[in-house]
Amino acid sequence: MTLQVSRTLLDQIRRHGEASYPDEGAGLLYGEAHGDDRRATALRPLANTHPKGERRRRYRIDPTDMMAAEDEAEALGLDVVGVFHSHPDHPAEASETDREWALPWFSYLITSVRFGRAAETRSWRLVDDRSIMIEEPLLVAQEA
Amino acid sequence: MVVIRVPAPLRAYTGGAREIEVQGKTVASALSDLASRHPALRPHLFDDRGDLRPFVNLFLNEEDVRMLQGTATPLDENDRLMIVPSIAGGSSAADSLRPVDHAALRTNQAMIIGVLLGAFISDGTWLVLLVSLILALGSLTGRPGFLPLYRILRSARLFKPDVVPDHPEPHRFAQALGSAFLLAGWLALAVGLEAAGWALAWIVIALAALNLFAGLCIGCLVYYWLSRIGAPGFSKSPPEGARPGRRPPSASGTI
Repeated sequence: MTLQVSRTLLDQIRRHGEASYPDEGAGLLYGEAHGDDRRATALRPLANTHPKGERRRRYRIDPTDMMAAEDEAEALGLDVVGVFHSHPDHPAEASETDREWALPWFSYLITSVRFGRAAETRSWRLVDDRSIMIEEPLLVAQEA
Repeated sequence: MVVIRVPAPLRAYTGGAREIEVQGKTVASALSDLASRHPALRPHLFDDRGDLRPFVNLFLNEEDVRMLQGTATPLDENDRLMIVPSIAGGSSAADSLRPVDHAALRTNQAMIIGVLLGAFISDGTWLVLLVSLILALGSLTGRPGFLPLYRILRSARLFKPDVVPDHPEPHRFAQALGSAFLLAGWLALAVGLEAAGWALAWIVIALAALNLFAGLCIGCLVYYWLSRIGAPGFSKSPPEGARPGRRPPSASGTI
């Protein structure tokens, strides 16, 4: 169970978290799955459509954006394999809210953004019985 | 036949199939046919009562069926139904805010200022230690140290409570900080370092006054800064809509 991303892609994800600060920023990861391992090769940053004022702690992706993203991924010959979002001034740990809303199988990549600067990035997956999210190794490849 | 598109997270329950052909005259019967063809999918689409789960969205030819007739929406041959999951989350659930009486905090600050000024004027070193101990006790119990006095004043109707949803931890930390400063001040006075001892006491007086008269809690500010840099044990962020170190706005209906 691993998630592989290129250094370039990871940097883009982290910049997106910084640009969204102090709100949470979110988007989708496109890639290929090989059994329980997956490789993210593209991303789609999306608007955080949670009501204003709560976006510092919450994010939501509009279902129409999600639908368009699925079409886009398919056109690229890829799948939506996960979700990335930022935790402004909070650790990059999957929270109780993250778990409640999590889907099985997806990789949830979380970047902690402290004082507007991206700190640690970690990846999580929901276990089958939905009880917890466990960390998966994040493999960063130097080349895309 | 109607085609249902299954999102990647649910394909583990459809044998990897992305699109599945089903029979059905309505959205509900098409979903029921899908669930009977792939029983493992059922718990991810429906709850125990058989209702569609809230994070399952259905789009019929790119239109949300909630905007049509819901699951009773009729289907035509060659219609395409998409299952689109809601994607959401966030750093924390509703932060555990508790009722905090800011009038009690202000009484505490006024008492700190009053007793320490009295200590300075009367050269009463022991009063510095007394305030330090009262604040330490308050910090340990998670209440303002001078709370008993506030209760007397409140029962005499001299004060109106000012209860707002807030984190108690930063106030507790601010008290502990005040207590530590005063303890250090008392120790300095005890060994004859008069200037240093009274300087520490005056810092506490100044910070309490800043809080009492300008509404800025420096100790709370320090707490939130430590929380932002990820210091262990400092987990709370300022309540929604509040500036760090300031009294949070009253939320109608919550207290």
